[in-house]
Amino acid sequence: MDYLVAVLLPQLLHGLVFGAALGLLALGLTVIFGLLGVMNFAHGELYMLGAYAGIAVIGVTHSFWAALLVGPLAVGAIGALTEVTTLRPLYRREPLYGLILTFGLALVFREGARQIWGGDMRRIMPPFAGSTPLLGMTYPNYRLFLLAASSAILLAIWLFFTRTRAGILVRAAVQDAEMLDGLGVNVPRVFTLTFAGSAALAALAGLLLAPIFTVYPQMGVEMILLAFIVVILGGMGSMGGSVIAAFVIGLAQSLLTLWMNPQRVAIAIFAIMIVILIVRPRGFFGREGVLE
Amino acid sequence: MSRGVYGRVFSRWAVIVWLLLTLLPAVPFMSKFYLLLAFDALLFGTIAMSLDLLMGYTGLVSFGHAAFFGLGAYASAVLLERGIVSLWACLLFAILVVGLYALVVSFFATARRGIYFALLTLIFAEVVYTFFRYTQTFGGSDGIQGVAAPRLIGDFAIDTPLRNYYLVLVYLGLAYLACRVLVTSHFGRVLVAIRENEDRARFLGYDVQRYKMAICMISALLTGLGGALYPGRSAFATPDLMLWTVSGEFIIMVMIGGLGTLAGPVVGGAFFVLLQEKVSSYVDWYFIVIGLVLIFIVLFMPRGLLGLRELLGGRRWRTTA
Repeated sequence: MDYLVAVLLPQLLHGLVFGAALGLLALGLTVIFGLLGVMNFAHGELYMLGAYAGIAVIGVTHSFWAALLVGPLAVGAIGALTEVTTLRPLYRREPLYGLILTFGLALVFREGARQIWGGDMRRIMPPFAGSTPLLGMTYPNYRLFLLAASSAILLAIWLFFTRTRAGILVRAAVQDAEMLDGLGVNVPRVFTLTFAGSAALAALAGLLLAPIFTVYPQMGVEMILLAFIVVILGGMGSMGGSVIAAFVIGLAQSLLTLWMNPQRVAIAIFAIMIVILIVRPRGFFGREGVLE
Repeated sequence: MSRGVYGRVFSRWAVIVWLLLTLLPAVPFMSKFYLLLAFDALLFGTIAMSLDLLMGYTGLVSFGHAAFFGLGAYASAVLLERGIVSLWACLLFAILVVGLYALVVSFFATARRGIYFALLTLIFAEVVYTFFRYTQTFGGSDGIQGVAAPRLIGDFAIDTPLRNYYLVLVYLGLAYLACRVLVTSHFGRVLVAIRENEDRARFLGYDVQRYKMAICMISALLTGLGGALYPGRSAFATPDLMLWTVSGEFIIMVMIGGLGTLAGPVVGGAFFVLLQEKVSSYVDWYFIVIGLVLIFIVLFMPRGLLGLRELLGGRRWRTTA
């Protein structure tokens, strides 16, 4: 019982917290993947830019909450600008070109951040300290907030995609952009706004996770790989699948660290991934014939 | 194909360029530094060429070629570190190690199409990276440092930039020959057929997966051999050689050069290495320049550097075999 409360429960909560934030990151990736047929390699850099934008805003306003509002908006604007100038000309080309392009964008963003903010590790202080007694143990307040905020945002996104006309338009564009175009919808605008939204989500994830992780220019490189795994596991283009897979990976990662050292955990997660791709290549909820 | 087997396999230009390259060390002001730079340019050019077999001819994008390269480098470095300094032993061991790994990867990866192939190769490569990064037997994150130079025969060590340069030139020549023979053969035509329409190739009776596995293995082995030459030049093998971003760089080299041209990716690889070197000697934000060059190429010259020939009025480059 002591073991359960002192070891297993915190680890379980850690997993949920991380899974929720990972869900934000993976969700944007999955939507862009559905729209453009491209794994957005710059997504990890947008996540990184979110954290740095937060640092910049906090430097001016000394308010985490202002950063939480302004940071994602700024990164979203960068995303929109990027989409219009570089990705839009590639719509009718092979997805391979988009892949290479986002790789180039990632290089530019990563090095740009290093030039502006330097290469050393930085931290963002959590907006509130302390911890709350919970089920016989205490858990940091910020992590509880992180879990609540991420879950609320995920819920809001779900409502957006199921209940609003704009959300339905995005889903339609994922299904069949050409048909949507034929129906008189301004598809390029849908694409641009979706890309901006996905960038803002990545930035939000970066900023929310910054107080428990460290901020440095390479931080996106490791996260993006995990986000890729989540997207595949959930099934390419399936948004619900991505969220579920994010929680699965978050929990798996934090529970496995109880019995293995972190390196082994990384290998174990890759191994799980390989087995799933072989046995059930379309992930949990992938449909047949999507981008094969 | 009236030019006969020789004309089919070799363009006259390839031979001339290769012969000119043998004269490169005779150029005045060719310091050791520039010879090593030329080594890197040709080595990565050749690796990009072997990746082109997959990307350009078969339509499979491998995001795990850094693992083949790194494994080859480690295979060679491990032997050199333990006092087995024969180049041939290093190459054989690299073939063995890379071959076994590539067998597993290609068996599973070629069963899947499109993006799934790319991701499977990526994840397999990450497993290898993580393994070497954290295994102290192989030096962990420092890798294997300060290994001896390999010996060609007897006491003839490949220990100068000049000897290394000629070694890599031989590697380039043989690899190019192998690739040309491959893509002009019936086997190469089947690969192009698979790229164009995999289902139709299958209906014609070809065992598509077996073809894909074979080309995957060949490409991996050529890359691994290149990796095996690397410790001889740098005296180290580190896990950073197999970071997934390195695989990305290989893909970039192929794209810069032009898909499905073989010669193009060699140019692309050399261009990439030289660009990185040149720009980084002037500014320390060279990744921005490289990123912008990449974006420029994707947007405005999707056919790569060799695509420029068309603009300049040259004959249309044959994009397939």
